[in-house]
Amino acid sequence: MTPLRRGLDIQVRVVKALMVRELITRFGRENIGFLWVMVEPLLFAVLVGILWRFEKGAMDHGISVIAFVATGYIPLVLFRTSISRSVGALTANASLLYHRQVKILDLVLVRFIIEFIGHSMAYIFIASLLIAVSEFPVPTDMSVFMLGWLYWGLFTLSVCLICAALSEMSDIVEKVFPVTVYMMVPFSGTFFMASWLTRSFARVVSYSPPVHAMEMMRSGIFGPAVAPQYDLFFPLTVILPLMLLGLALCRRVRRTMVVE
Amino acid sequence: MISCENLCKSYPMGHGIKHVLRNLDFTIQRGEHVGFLGRNGAGKTTLIKLLGGVEMPTSGKITRNMSVSWPLGFGGGFQGSLTGYDNARFIARIYGQDYSDIKDFVEDFTELGRQLKMPVKTYSAGMKARLAFALSLAIEFDCYLIDEVILVGDHNFHQKCRHELFEKRADRALILASHSADLIREFCDRAMVLEKGHGTMYSDLEEGLRVYVGL
Repeated sequence: MTPLRRGLDIQVRVVKALMVRELITRFGRENIGFLWVMVEPLLFAVLVGILWRFEKGAMDHGISVIAFVATGYIPLVLFRTSISRSVGALTANASLLYHRQVKILDLVLVRFIIEFIGHSMAYIFIASLLIAVSEFPVPTDMSVFMLGWLYWGLFTLSVCLICAALSEMSDIVEKVFPVTVYMMVPFSGTFFMASWLTRSFARVVSYSPPVHAMEMMRSGIFGPAVAPQYDLFFPLTVILPLMLLGLALCRRVRRTMVVE
Repeated sequence: MISCENLCKSYPMGHGIKHVLRNLDFTIQRGEHVGFLGRNGAGKTTLIKLLGGVEMPTSGKITRNMSVSWPLGFGGGFQGSLTGYDNARFIARIYGQDYSDIKDFVEDFTELGRQLKMPVKTYSAGMKARLAFALSLAIEFDCYLIDEVILVGDHNFHQKCRHELFEKRADRALILASHSADLIREFCDRAMVLEKGHGTMYSDLEEGLRVYVGL
């Protein structure tokens, strides 16, 4: 086996073991267990959806309000939860670093993967439910949707890596991050389509990779009805540098990390 | 073989820096039993953590040409919220070993019985030491790093450790950090005395112990 292949084998093994461990410690073995991870995004999407339904009526800009809210909130909750799970993730799991094959990248990755899978399941669940009651369109193009969801996930992961490392370097991060995540809301595309905005504001948000990801996801679901505006490759030009920055910070923080 | 070149470790302390280890140079060969002696705070645990790769040196280099265990101590290595069995399963998974083998060994070595189904945080220090030893002995390493923990066990535990570690695995390297001269005398061939960040290796064990007692 080549060293790269062997390294990859070890990492896959470690990530699997860490996932099982994380699921047991977080959700236990009783009642619905892992399914709890779906509860928060589901509740958010449903309750806010109902709220908007009464506020704005059944349709807005020609699409179902509940469907629009669900498509926005599930990614947003994924982003928010993943970030808050990554802040302090390293200290919380420091005892795992006793085993040399466990890397801090794995610790962040595992927490993110659990959220990503959980939110994907929540998405599928709520979409099927809403399709059954005709409140959600049958997706027009799953491939664009998947690419958008993938970009959204990668963007979230890169920010997670940065937050995990920074929260280790300074306590300030833990205190200011809820505000930063809140500020991210207008740049996430959760509550609008770029085509509904004034031209100047649409230009500003077009620099935000999550907006492109969100437009892609909604394009895949609602089709041309929402006049999606996105660039297929632009998100990568931001996500890749962010990812590199996150990895570099994690590497740096590992060198000075104190493990009890 | 493990070799350390110019190994330094310092921690930030207030506005200054605390130098815990300064310029250590030594090698440990396969099968050698080496004791680290030093008073509380001399850097024994820090050195063990560096050798085990738990923390990284501030400068200098560690080369490992044999498989080295994780440091066996009170903390680390397992998780309090998980049960003894879950910990064993986790170790089996990350080291790519068969769980049923490890399970049998852990049950046999720890004699903890049904307690293994309880979270580790409910264990006493002695029970934790048993589990920690069992888990690391269940994985075959060329070199075992042991930090004090051997001291807390009862007589029966000592007998078991002696049998499993010093008789059955006598060909393995062993690094034992302790402030107990007796323990080092019993188990080690040579000793390194740590003081004020500097380490001196004594191949004559008795000489090392004399220096240590005189500190």
